[in-house]
Amino acid sequence: MSDQFISIYQTSEEQLLEKAVQDGVETMWDRKAAMKAPCGFGEKGICCRICAMGPCRISPVAGKGAQRGICGATADVIVARNLARMVAAGTASHSDHARDIAHVMHMASRDGNFKIRDEKKLLDLASEWGVKTEDRDIYEVAHEVAEIALNEFGKPFGTLRFLERAPEKRKKVWDDLQIRPRAIDREIATILHSTHIGCTGDAESLLHMSMRTALADGWGGSMIGTVFSDILYGTPVPRETESNLGVLDEKQVNIILHGHEPSLSEMIVMASLDPEMQKLAKKVGAEGINLAGMCCTGNEVTMRHGVKIAGNFYQQEMAVLTGAVEAVIVDVQCIFPSLVPITECYHTKFITTSPKAKITGATHIEFHEDRALESAKAIVREAIENFKNRKKEKVFIPTEKSSGVVGYSVEAIIKQLDKVVNPHIDPMGTIKPLADVIKAGVLRGAVGIVGCNNPKSKHDYSHIEIMKKMIANDVIVVTTGCAAQAAVKAGLTNKDARKLAGQGLATVCELVDIPPVLHLGSCVDISRIMTIVGEVAKHMDLDNSDLPVAGIAPEWMSEKAVAIANYVVATGIDTFLGITPPVTGSEEVMDIMTNRVEAMTGAKFFIEEDPHVLADKVLSRIEEKRQKLGI
Amino acid sequence: MNLFQTIFTGSNQAVSAAEGLLKQAIEQKGRDHKVAFPDTAYALPVIYAATGIKITTLGELEGAIGIVKSLIVEELQLTQALNAGLATAVSAEIIEAIKYAMNETPYEAPCAGHISDPIIRSLGVPLVTGDIPGVAVVLGECPDSATAAKVIKDYQSKGLLTFLVGKVIDQAIEGNVKMGLELRVIPLGYDVTSVIHVVSVAIRASLIFGAVEPGKLDKHMEYTKNRVPAFVNAFGPLSELVVSAGAGAIALGFPVITDQVVPEVPTLLLTQKDYDKFVATSLEARGIKIKITELPIPVAFAAAFEGERIRKED
Ligand code: SF4
Ligand code: SF4
Repeated sequence: MSDQFISIYQTSEEQLLEKAVQDGVETMWDRKAAMKAPCGFGEKGICCRICAMGPCRISPVAGKGAQRGICGATADVIVARNLARMVAAGTASHSDHARDIAHVMHMASRDGNFKIRDEKKLLDLASEWGVKTEDRDIYEVAHEVAEIALNEFGKPFGTLRFLERAPEKRKKVWDDLQIRPRAIDREIATILHSTHIGCTGDAESLLHMSMRTALADGWGGSMIGTVFSDILYGTPVPRETESNLGVLDEKQVNIILHGHEPSLSEMIVMASLDPEMQKLAKKVGAEGINLAGMCCTGNEVTMRHGVKIAGNFYQQEMAVLTGAVEAVIVDVQCIFPSLVPITECYHTKFITTSPKAKITGATHIEFHEDRALESAKAIVREAIENFKNRKKEKVFIPTEKSSGVVGYSVEAIIKQLDKVVNPHIDPMGTIKPLADVIKAGVLRGAVGIVGCNNPKSKHDYSHIEIMKKMIANDVIVVTTGCAAQAAVKAGLTNKDARKLAGQGLATVCELVDIPPVLHLGSCVDISRIMTIVGEVAKHMDLDNSDLPVAGIAPEWMSEKAVAIANYVVATGIDTFLGITPPVTGSEEVMDIMTNRVEAMTGAKFFIEEDPHVLADKVLSRIEEKRQKLGI
Repeated sequence: MNLFQTIFTGSNQAVSAAEGLLKQAIEQKGRDHKVAFPDTAYALPVIYAATGIKITTLGELEGAIGIVKSLIVEELQLTQALNAGLATAVSAEIIEAIKYAMNETPYEAPCAGHISDPIIRSLGVPLVTGDIPGVAVVLGECPDSATAAKVIKDYQSKGLLTFLVGKVIDQAIEGNVKMGLELRVIPLGYDVTSVIHVVSVAIRASLIFGAVEPGKLDKHMEYTKNRVPAFVNAFGPLSELVVSAGAGAIALGFPVITDQVVPEVPTLLLTQKDYDKFVATSLEARGIKIKITELPIPVAFAAAFEGERIRKED
């Protein structure tokens, strides 16, 4: 294990994996080893099992072996089809997440568990969408706005409303390409239709559709998810947090919140603060309740409440291995079913809550949104009562943890930028200071570093190496998802980290009072990144694709990441993938993605597994864009 | 051209001008000819503070040219841009030093040129107490003398020490600005390079009052940034040379406010086109708060008079 050991948190994770061996627990590493070499057909994307004539697989060698599936589909079509389905799945995940939040807003009430926390944001959205607000109860407004949002998923006519937020030039690109998404679910359905046997047989057309569907995620589902979460749970403001497994506390009831949807996690936060729950914790002999987040739900609650982060995707098994976790409470997405056998080795309760993600062997306690707090309390109670079952001899909590600042919503960033506005020249509340430092060259550019963990890459290594290289070269980093959690763990979201930045970025950090790496939230919050880039482009009267910016997914793994990458490129932002997607089996698809798409959207994909080489490519592409602009 | 490239161009111009002048001077006077500013114990103060070396002859200045060149690394990052700005500052000091080496009195009234140590020492106390709340460096050419006079008088009335460089000196005279050390308005010279005489004041403040060791350039920059409340107002068209000199000012922590369109850098390099707001913009940029003296006077004390110092002679 140790020579292939692949984490940057050498000591703690190595120790935990040794503990896994001792405790006789299987981890993802064991399973990865059991996989042996991955199937070359799947890896290249040239395996199709869409109909019962197959499975079919195309020979990777041109002119030798099967060149077409039984139906006649070429490698190009099969690869593009597989990719399109990944986009559809990713979009579906983000969108279903968003739909639930819109539903929650629709049931929000003044005396209910779910309330309107950011009235201004709601009112702004209402006026954006033409909803009357004068002399109306805020909840009435909320319900109407929520209904409009819910219609975005299946409206019969028109295109998505949030697309209007993009710069004019970008909208024109979308119009010219005819990739303005219509209704969110419709785009997903269309992809599933077109990728059925005997439907679309043209790779370019499939990639086109993929972009349209992905845009329904970035500028539809994800954006609704973010905006509505802010309205319901508050728009994040900067706050301190801590991250890594060292946040688990031997003396407290440790509850891991894992998954994605903030409706559950928000209520769990409320429930765990409830005096009744606190009392119960004392009664079972604990000092208190220690919530620790994981993956995107962790990001949601850390952004809004400073809840500590236990770790990212890769650490979900490790957290249980500490033997100190009373419960892992999950909802949807990125949850290892292996948490069942692992938790069985300890006292840990693995509690699923969503009917959308039941897992055989887990304890299912359904979260009912209509009696949310009560529901959450029932779940928390289950965790607390489990404290007495903890096996002391099996507890090992690594000490590693770091502190950092999180909570950089677009609004929070603009507020920080106000610090450097000279009121005798400019108004407050604009993106201008950011545009200025980019134009002047003090910042060379900005990158969004996002995405998952993937055992094909050393845990967090690519995230951190790339981030360090960016900031050292005066490129500011915004980050979300598991990449953001890696940043917090590595101390890069700490204001002190400015000493790792180049002088330009360090100066900006000092003046604006921010860390060099800004945590913008969860994966749906990549919509915040789209917003910032769009605002800068609008301010400079440019298109997104003109700006010296890039998106990077160093250790991506999920289909959501594929959808994200596609909408980022469709939004005009170059996207760098640190893990090769299953597309190499088609020269045509590779050519479109890494070359021809640039003529369509002004941006393209770069695939590069060496993080250092990738970072260099990002930097030179940024300079290329600057040169084109003459800045 | 992008901002950093403009700075590099200006810095290269400055160093080649310095190099050319030095060559001529050496041809005329020889390498051993003495170089010194009057009434200072710090030789060429900027070079001394930066390197710890006291230059005394034209020959030694050749070495300084080498230092300047090493500061110009044309990589498009802030560090290199600021270093290039410092290179321009050092080049300016070399050029000004050659003026003094070649001519007994290179500056005549109204221009002061080099400022002596005793004057700097006399400024120390009022700077520390805040009696002099800031140092304004006004350079270039205002659209008209009325504007120039208005801006300068405003600084004067707020007790700031104002140095003038370039055509604005004539505009100030035309605008009836009363000048002199005790009136806190000091015309330095007509060439851009004479701006180094105010940099020299800031640097010697760091050497004298800050007791910062010569050679510790970083520490000097920290001192000037934190302790010398200076800023630059650059009026009229900006040559590459002026822009790169501005980068030097920014390196020392002094914001530059101009009436020209430039790529702005928040708090450091700003465009203000409204001359009526120039003073307020500058004070805000440097974080200068004017002490308001509550006066028990029975007349309306309008906001417009805030910070107006009532001078004895008035
Ligand atoms: S759709 Fe075509 S390629 Fe795919 S499994 Fe069926 S026959 Fe084979
Ligand atoms: S970044 Fe990837 S692994 Fe992490 S929560 Fe998001 S989709 Fe899941």
